Amino acid sequence: MLRFVHTCILGLIAAGVVHLAIVFMLPDHTVRDAWSRISNAADYYQTIQLDARPDSPLRIDNPYFAGAACRFSLEDGLLHVRSEGKIPFWTLAIFDNRSQNTFSLSDRVAEDHSLDTILLTPIQMQRLKNDPSADLGQSLFVETDVVEGFVLVRAFIPDETWEPQVRAFLNSIRCEAVETQ
Amino acid sequence: MVYRVFLLLVFLAIAIGGGAASVWFALDNAPLTGRFTSGPWQAFPLLGTPQADPYSRARYARSGGLPLGPSEGIVLTAREDSNGDPLRRTCTYVISGQLPPARLWTLHLTDADGGFLPDHGRKRAALHSRMVVYGEGNSLTVHVSRQPQPGNWLPSEGNGRMQVVLTLFDTSVAVTSDQFSDLRLPTITRADCYA
Repeated sequence: MLRFVHTCILGLIAAGVVHLAIVFMLPDHTVRDAWSRISNAADYYQTIQLDARPDSPLRIDNPYFAGAACRFSLEDGLLHVRSEGKIPFWTLAIFDNRSQNTFSLSDRVAEDHSLDTILLTPIQMQRLKNDPSADLGQSLFVETDVVEGFVLVRAFIPDETWEPQVRAFLNSIRCEAVETQ
Repeated sequence: MVYRVFLLLVFLAIAIGGGAASVWFALDNAPLTGRFTSGPWQAFPLLGTPQADPYSRARYARSGGLPLGPSEGIVLTAREDSNGDPLRRTCTYVISGQLPPARLWTLHLTDADGGFLPDHGRKRAALHSRMVVYGEGNSLTVHVSRQPQPGNWLPSEGNGRMQVVLTLFDTSVAVTSDQFSDLRLPTITRADCYA
């Protein structure tokens, strides 16, 4: 009997360990998170369109917004995200491969409210600064520690008359890896 | 020997079964942490960010959600009116007051699970800052009702519970415990109820 009680107590302690292990491992192993869903829907650097419709791979949970997303890996080089056209309002967020929103900005900080952003690691930024031949252009530079993740652009659709223009903006989003020396 | 095998099985059942069951229970039933409230409004600013606690992170990962970052905006959700009674689609409500500064805001109705409420004809159960009619001193009055209302109207089709979701985009409002409870947000007052 004593051994049975002893076993039960050990079992409870082990249950605590199992509990913590599951809680900490779940974000990395779930297949229901945003990263897994976008990975199933599209390859790296391929832009996918998102909204609140049931067939959207990820749901944008605001009735006046649509979105577009692409996966990246900064091991391939810098990420250049840009689009054509102007729309009333957009935001950009960088999610890591655990589906966490790690950095965000709104169009207010972008030159001319247009989307032209380069995402890079601090090391890549340092290399770029030391390279006199690098053409930094007009892009907005964002340093990040996220090596693998996805970029999400959300765009405001004030009413139906704006729909074609906003969809065209989202459709024109290009995500490209720019190789550096 | 048989007894030892039995004890091992008991140990494994408690460890694996108990561990898994307690996680399932914690994620599905425990209240979300990191909540800030102001009147009927709630916000979970850390949800889906690296600063969230492990339980919120595990729960959020399973939801497949795309949380707004601090520079994008903040989502405020009300499940109850200002008296603390649950919001029902069979009742009419008046949302009134000032909104915090934001470049853009949207206000929409959802069911208890976050799905959008159906349109009333061509009228959506949603409004945004560039289409509403403002009152004196930039104050806002919105009627939530099944029946069409003059002024700003959100149609609440169907039965059962609902939520009012206010999203402030590009706002200076940073949600910290002190600031949020002092934030002036609209009140949600129940007018009357059908059957």
